[in-house]
Amino acid sequence: MKERAEVPVGSEIPELRRVVTREDVVAYAEVSGDRNPLHVDDDFARSVGFPGVIAHGMFTMGHMAAAVTAWAGDPGVVGSIAAQFREPVFPGDTIVAGGRVRSVDPDEGVIALETWVALERDGRVGWAVKKGSARVRLA
Amino acid sequence: MNAEAEGTVYPEVEFVVDPERVAAFRDLFGIDHGVPPTFVTAAEFAALPTVLTDPALAIDFTRVVHGSQEYEYHRPPRVGETLRVRARIDSIRHRGGTGFMTIAMDLVDADGRPVCSVRSQMLERGLPT
Repeated sequence: MKERAEVPVGSEIPELRRVVTREDVVAYAEVSGDRNPLHVDDDFARSVGFPGVIAHGMFTMGHMAAAVTAWAGDPGVVGSIAAQFREPVFPGDTIVAGGRVRSVDPDEGVIALETWVALERDGRVGWAVKKGSARVRLA
Repeated sequence: MNAEAEGTVYPEVEFVVDPERVAAFRDLFGIDHGVPPTFVTAAEFAALPTVLTDPALAIDFTRVVHGSQEYEYHRPPRVGETLRVRARIDSIRHRGGTGFMTIAMDLVDADGRPVCSVRSQMLERGLPT
């Protein structure tokens, strides 16, 4: 597990990149229990104004949390995590989670991170999550 | 959505931190041990259908998108334990034809001690004009 002495303010956590597939979205609907047809039924998604199914916001946030967890070394040290969702993510899009150390409390071992999830589609880069944050407690 | 539903408290529901479900969540996100931080989303979905189908709230879920999400962990959930999920509508606002609803949930353990506090903002998009 990472220790607080290793994390200078301003340092970045390793990027975590994945292509979101239709299978990922179906698997997430199953495991989370969020079976909103917007995520699994193209006809329904089109009927409410999207070109097709969109990934769950919480899939994107789960990916962001995975980046923080991989960096911290243990999911149990994550004290908080938050995200504001921006653009919808479609199957075929690439999401890239990242983060930066904002502050380190040397007494409590609490590290505050700003986090984000970039969105890549057809050579264009946007934001699935532009403003995210997390707090982890390191030994 | 009906602003008068602000403050509604929903009946508590139980959620089991099922080991197979935790493992499936870990596999999906490439986390090799423990309970993934956003696994608690599954606990929210034990309570959320009751909120979203509340006739007094009158939300049109076909127009709902997820605005933001916050989790504050008091301790990590333990595999196999049963959590109790308490949901309430914290606020409802309308702005420019869009409805903004914040749902707050408290996840507590068998002894009533807090495990995770959740805030979730849902947007109900305006009807096409």
